[in-house]
Amino acid sequence: MTRVLEATGIEKVFRNGDEETRVLNGIDLTLDKGELVALLGASGSGKSTLLSIIGLLLRPTAGSLTISGERVDRLSERERARFRNRRLGFVFQFHHLLPDFTAMENVAFPAAAPAGGISRVMRDRARDLLTRVGLEDRIDFPATRLSGGQKQRVAIARALMNRPDLIIADEPTGNLDRESADRVLDLMREVNREDGGTFMICTHDEGVAARCSRRLTLIDGQLASNVSGTVDAL
Amino acid sequence: MFALQVARRYMLSNPSQTLLLIAGVALGVTVFVFITALIAGLAIRLTDQVTGNSAHISLEPPTRVARVLTGPDLPVESVALVSTFQRQQIRDWPMVVELLRSNPDVSAISTQISGSAFLVKSEAVTAVSIIGVDPQGIDAISQITPNIMDGNGDLGADGLLIGVRMAENLGLSAGQSILLRTERGVERQLTVKGVFSTGLQSLDERVAFMSLQTARPLFVLPQGVTNIEVKLKDPEDARATARFLAEATGLRATPWQEKNLSLEDALQAQGQTGTLIQIFSLISIIIGVASALVLSAYRRRGEVGIMRAFGVPGGFILWVFLLQGLLIGLIGGLIGCATGYGLCVWLEGITRVDGVPALPIAPAQGGYVAALVLTTLGAVIASILPARSASKVDPLEAIQQ
Repeated sequence: MTRVLEATGIEKVFRNGDEETRVLNGIDLTLDKGELVALLGASGSGKSTLLSIIGLLLRPTAGSLTISGERVDRLSERERARFRNRRLGFVFQFHHLLPDFTAMENVAFPAAAPAGGISRVMRDRARDLLTRVGLEDRIDFPATRLSGGQKQRVAIARALMNRPDLIIADEPTGNLDRESADRVLDLMREVNREDGGTFMICTHDEGVAARCSRRLTLIDGQLASNVSGTVDAL
Repeated sequence: MFALQVARRYMLSNPSQTLLLIAGVALGVTVFVFITALIAGLAIRLTDQVTGNSAHISLEPPTRVARVLTGPDLPVESVALVSTFQRQQIRDWPMVVELLRSNPDVSAISTQISGSAFLVKSEAVTAVSIIGVDPQGIDAISQITPNIMDGNGDLGADGLLIGVRMAENLGLSAGQSILLRTERGVERQLTVKGVFSTGLQSLDERVAFMSLQTARPLFVLPQGVTNIEVKLKDPEDARATARFLAEATGLRATPWQEKNLSLEDALQAQGQTGTLIQIFSLISIIIGVASALVLSAYRRRGEVGIMRAFGVPGGFILWVFLLQGLLIGLIGGLIGCATGYGLCVWLEGITRVDGVPALPIAPAQGGYVAALVLTTLGAVIASILPARSASKVDPLEAIQQ
């Protein structure tokens, strides 16, 4: 099994003047290719901070982080941006689509911006991804004319655009109604099953976590449990 | 270029704001062009008024200075007195004229004998500046014969042309005779052949023209001339050409600017005022563009943050905002240049009763290239601050918002 993520002794301390807040306290964690991992925890347990560190949006205070065999915690800002672009995909609680662009342009954007334009190959891949997430009839729709669930599915397609090694999702269904949330989760499971995509989903929804292949629970900045197997399998 | 597409899309996403911004820039450029054309036009009109009926360069004999004499036989300091028995003159004027004729910058030459005299009619006596000229070239420097309103321009052997103000003062008209007494004490009865009106007080009130041959015995100059007046194709070349002529001939060459120092000061002050207005126009454009783009960058922090999160380089985001500044400056600048030109042409067409444009405006000299380049550059500079701030948005902070 290919190791996608290896985090060792991850610590994060926020300082505000003389005041120190320890949010993560020695997290050791590994993720293999094709895993669909749920990260659970109460508010303030540090799960969003851990996700931000794994997503290279935040630097750890201590510890090492290796993604796809590359030590990434020591990279410069420019290298981190490049790594995020090529190896990581993001799905946020709020879709964060670019409102002035169509669904297709939003999906192609992560590939187009560094390349200097949307090539035919990029356009075709963006169309394929939108078809895959069930939005083949919304390809050239402006992002502002899509429903909440459709926007989140576009965000998933965008996260997949550059064929990332790891997709990080922070409460991806948090803003959706039950039906849209199920559809989004089914989609991620499908990508995981059929393409072997590796997901790390931060959630406080037990229903979402139950459908993941592994559940990690954070309590007060420490990994409290690490349980494998979906509820269906269990 | 993808950054250009994104910049264009951002501008089109809020057309009313973009249009207002471009209109603001265009207005600033219109003011810039109008002021530049007006100042250039004013300078041209004033220069024309001054140089139109006068020489651009006057060539005269060098000033005579009393020399200090030293030597063993001179126990006390002695000076060689300057003789005033005969007026200083340009003896070898034909050579100078030849030199001037070979100069491509020279458009007209007038060899003259100038001097002071009195016109006496009965009890009335008035001082007059006499200009003795070649009758064929009387209009070389000033337009005299086309402006004759009484009599004709035929000077003949004893003819005199006087200005309309002088004629009024002495109660003279064409055909009447008058006594002339020169600074050399020579007197002669002359006939007023014509009365001219140039509109220039200095000419119409104090100057009288006669032929060079008539002037010679009156000023006791049988061969030489007192001065050579030169007109150039471009009056602005006067200083350089005067320097050249002074070196080449050894004569005193005075460009028209040195005879009209107050005009030069006025033109300079006018130019400086115009420059100040242009600078303020440019500053207002820069502030306008910068404030609009700062707001735009702030409004788009979330979008920019998400771009940064999925690894779009900061340089790309920088370009998106710089290109917005460039497009706004370029489009606003082009519209402003066109509007400014149109305004200048329209104003130029408004004339007074005498057919002269009401505003001395020069539409061709609106400084269009400078306006376009400076505005575009200014708008780009204005976008640097918001562009830099956008390119440094912390993705995490933007996402959490």
